[in-house]
Amino acid sequence: MAVSATHKKTIRGFIVAYGLASLVMIYLSYRLPLFLPGDFTSAMYGGSHVVLTLEQESDHRRLYAETGGFVGYLADLASMRWGYSYAFRAPVSRLILEALPWTLLLAGSAHLLSMLFGFVLGVEAAWRRGRWFEKRLLGLMSILQGLPEIVTGIFLLFVFALLLQWFPAAGATTAYANLQGWEWIINGAHHLVLPLTTLVLSYFPGNFLLARGSMVLILKAPFTETARAKGLPPFRIRYAHAARNALLPLVTRFGLRLALLVTGVVVVENIYSYPGLGTLLLNAIGKRDLPLIQGVVLFSSLMIMLVNLLLDISYRWIDPRVTYAQ
Amino acid sequence: MHNNYRQELLQNRLFVSGLILAVLLALAALFAPVLAPHDPYDMSFAPLSGPSVEHPLGVNDGGMDILSELLLSLRNSVSFGLVAAIAGLFLGVILGLVAAWYGRWIDHAIMQLANILLALPNIMILILTAALFRPSPLSLALLLAVISWPTTAKACRAQALILKNRLHVQEAKRLGAGGAYIIGRHLLPELFPLYLVGFAAKARAAMLMEASLSFLGLFDPGHKSLGIMINYALKFYYLDVWWHWLAPPVICLALMMTTVTIIAVSLEGVFDPRLRESWQA
Repeated sequence: MAVSATHKKTIRGFIVAYGLASLVMIYLSYRLPLFLPGDFTSAMYGGSHVVLTLEQESDHRRLYAETGGFVGYLADLASMRWGYSYAFRAPVSRLILEALPWTLLLAGSAHLLSMLFGFVLGVEAAWRRGRWFEKRLLGLMSILQGLPEIVTGIFLLFVFALLLQWFPAAGATTAYANLQGWEWIINGAHHLVLPLTTLVLSYFPGNFLLARGSMVLILKAPFTETARAKGLPPFRIRYAHAARNALLPLVTRFGLRLALLVTGVVVVENIYSYPGLGTLLLNAIGKRDLPLIQGVVLFSSLMIMLVNLLLDISYRWIDPRVTYAQ
Repeated sequence: MHNNYRQELLQNRLFVSGLILAVLLALAALFAPVLAPHDPYDMSFAPLSGPSVEHPLGVNDGGMDILSELLLSLRNSVSFGLVAAIAGLFLGVILGLVAAWYGRWIDHAIMQLANILLALPNIMILILTAALFRPSPLSLALLLAVISWPTTAKACRAQALILKNRLHVQEAKRLGAGGAYIIGRHLLPELFPLYLVGFAAKARAAMLMEASLSFLGLFDPGHKSLGIMINYALKFYYLDVWWHWLAPPVICLALMMTTVTIIAVSLEGVFDPRLRESWQA
């Protein structure tokens, strides 16, 4: 009884913290542009490559003069009025929704693959602890963990796209190819290989080190001894008994690593001109298109926070020890 | 106890190799103005010329000497990381100890603020500010410190809560010592290993952030930084200049990040008893 009460209390605490954090983020996005010198329209498009017609300019002034303060801004966001991008001549919300699937595909598959590789390799390394191969692997991973996406991304781009020309250097599909069905999927997968490999390479060593670290401790635990004593096959001891406990730290650390993954995705999309949110943001910055910058930053922040909130709640549910520990 | 750690660190091969690399990089960054053969902003050389005796790494599209640019960039990137890490560590330690010692509503307020900041994605706040106001790298480093202190604060608070109930601290309090005195005299020195670990982790995150932000073009285009150099050099990939223009900053960045990571990882390995067990074969 007492446990479930504290459980509910911590969950409420998380919702409050994340709710406040998203309000802070929305407020920053609303308030910061108002600090710009001059009025918003001239500050936005004064130094930009976009030239507004007189009509557009007065339209824009009216749009930004009419806001009903912070509450009005919130209402606008809720009803999907995220502003209009003059650089792309489209509503910000439409641009974001067009770019979102590519980012989700890239970041999601990178996360899943690096989780899988990191976990399996980590478990196997812990099992073979102390051998020559394991020591080399540990050193290699510690170094690989330090390499930023800029370095691995440019290296892969050079070797596999420019020198060997095995994979395309830019985009998510071949432009104007009008592919259908399977061909389209294969084409997309071909374009995904390099950006995905870059992200996985810089993301999975962390998972490996974490999985290996917890697995080493778990293999010493009494219940693993029991499993061994029962004469179970090594594969079953490793995965059915021990490794499932090493999975938890990976899930709990995901929230902390999410921020790194997001930074990585923005950089990688930029290196490979992948048409996701990161590239959209970069184009917006390059053209000083403030409504779009504001929209992408706010949208991705809210998404990151939502994922983090769900994680924080769910790992209390996956691992009851987390709740007992408080 | 600290001597023990020092000895153990110096016997750790990973840490020592990281330390040697760090000293080399620090010397290059420190003496960049002396080592650089030319003024990095001097645009009077023949653009896009290849390496020669006078310009060991050639000249970029703007007619600037690449080696001098590289040295200054390294200096800027390293100092961004150090400033952000020092300021962030300072804020985190002070706020964490204050929260732990005074408890009650002060603790609540600081920890609630920490939870909110932890929930906010740092990079998005930096991108928004950088895109809107084009602040100087120094202000961005300080801003990063202001939003990244909570991890250190939480670690310090947790340890300080244990220390708080030790006899010598309780005795000091009973003898009438004030909060500031106890924090400065008894809590601050005892948590020393935490600062090393926190500092290395923060410097690593800040350098990575600086490289990404500058690569994405969020700094003043005239600023020298490894990320900006890579960004510019990448635009000329089709000319045969990549090996003396693109490769050096990429290698330099890789070296810098590997060094900080090695140090951060080995410090954690020595000071975190849980990890320690798993690292020693």
